[in-house]
Amino acid sequence: MRANFPSKVVAGHSLVGFIVRHSIGLPMASVEEVKRRHEVRLMKTPGVVGVGIGRKDGKDCIRVYVKDDSPRTLAALPQNLEDVEVEIVVSGPFKAL
Amino acid sequence: MNAEDAKLVCECQYLGLEKEGLTAGTNPNVVGVGIGHKTVRGQPTEEMAVKVYVKQKLHPLLVKDGEVIPDEIEGVSTDIEEAGEFSIWRPMPPVYQRKVRPAMGGLSIGHYAISAGTLGCLVRSEGAEYILSNNHVLANENRGVEGDPILQPGRFDGGKTEKDVLARLDTYVALDPEGANVVDCAIALPFVAQDVSPDILNIGRLRGSRDAALDEKVQKSGRTTRVTNGAVTDVNATIRVGYATGSYIFQDQIVIRGERGSFSSGGDSGAVIEAYDNAAVGLLFAGSPFFTVANKMTNVEKALDAKVV
Repeated sequence: MRANFPSKVVAGHSLVGFIVRHSIGLPMASVEEVKRRHEVRLMKTPGVVGVGIGRKDGKDCIRVYVKDDSPRTLAALPQNLEDVEVEIVVSGPFKAL
Repeated sequence: MNAEDAKLVCECQYLGLEKEGLTAGTNPNVVGVGIGHKTVRGQPTEEMAVKVYVKQKLHPLLVKDGEVIPDEIEGVSTDIEEAGEFSIWRPMPPVYQRKVRPAMGGLSIGHYAISAGTLGCLVRSEGAEYILSNNHVLANENRGVEGDPILQPGRFDGGKTEKDVLARLDTYVALDPEGANVVDCAIALPFVAQDVSPDILNIGRLRGSRDAALDEKVQKSGRTTRVTNGAVTDVNATIRVGYATGSYIFQDQIVIRGERGSFSSGGDSGAVIEAYDNAAVGLLFAGSPFFTVANKMTNVEKALDAKVV
């Protein structure tokens, strides 16, 4: 397990606006909202073929479907978004059947 | 002389195989040579004979001179069997890929210009019952026009426009190459209402429609992989899907993972994803090597203003 401390620092640096929301006591954004906010950008990342919502360790997570496990694609993807964990799934390309 | 040697003589004289001390020849009516019990009036006897398999068994008077097979070869009896012509074994295609009337969910179907997909189920709209499948199965990715013939089985499974037309293309939801799509669906109107049934092959009748839950177990009956089982692993996916005419983005999709191996394959498009209580939850249309993607059936019903029968 990764310690909580470093990941919080990362989130605080990149998502200043969100931290403000927290500080004034608003409920945390739902995974659906987080997905909607980020999916257009994620879908533009080369190698990404889909964005969904899955479950990891009992909690909802953002799932990113990738064409292959090329290091370039994996390096371009975040480990979490607005405190929601990101799970990367190698699905291969999707085709109409 | 034993049957083995007599058989070698036959192979040489009728099938043209080499044997020392004999001139090879062929008999156009002989398709095979073997050894087995001699059959007399349909009953096998203890005596071993050289079996000569012929295309057609004829009275000796009707056989050309020199092509008559003697009763005995080298002292061993012959037994002539009509075998027809041997060919490589082509098994009967599974029922999923054959012509079936009344046609039902799971069977091969397709627009006359495509290969083949799967008939999903029947839907009711304004009192009429239609066949539901994908746009890319019934409307050839936006290229079909109203009234186009829909074949069962699909063209790839031998369907012909002269004899296998089941329905005419009625309505499709156009695929949008720019924006986000929600469904890949179309409906076709059967020419004869009795030619279709609301059953799903090897599963049974549907009981309405609803949304699937995450991790819910589901099944489908489709043209290529037939009945398979899986589980829903995502109920809110945005996926880029490759088509013959380009790539399209779909939102609000469900993703399924097969229980044992692949849940679907090419040709299963259009199959209804069914929950274990027989509620229709999705319309299969795409897949990757590991996952299957389906439109939510509730979105399909909304887009077509129709209800699952």
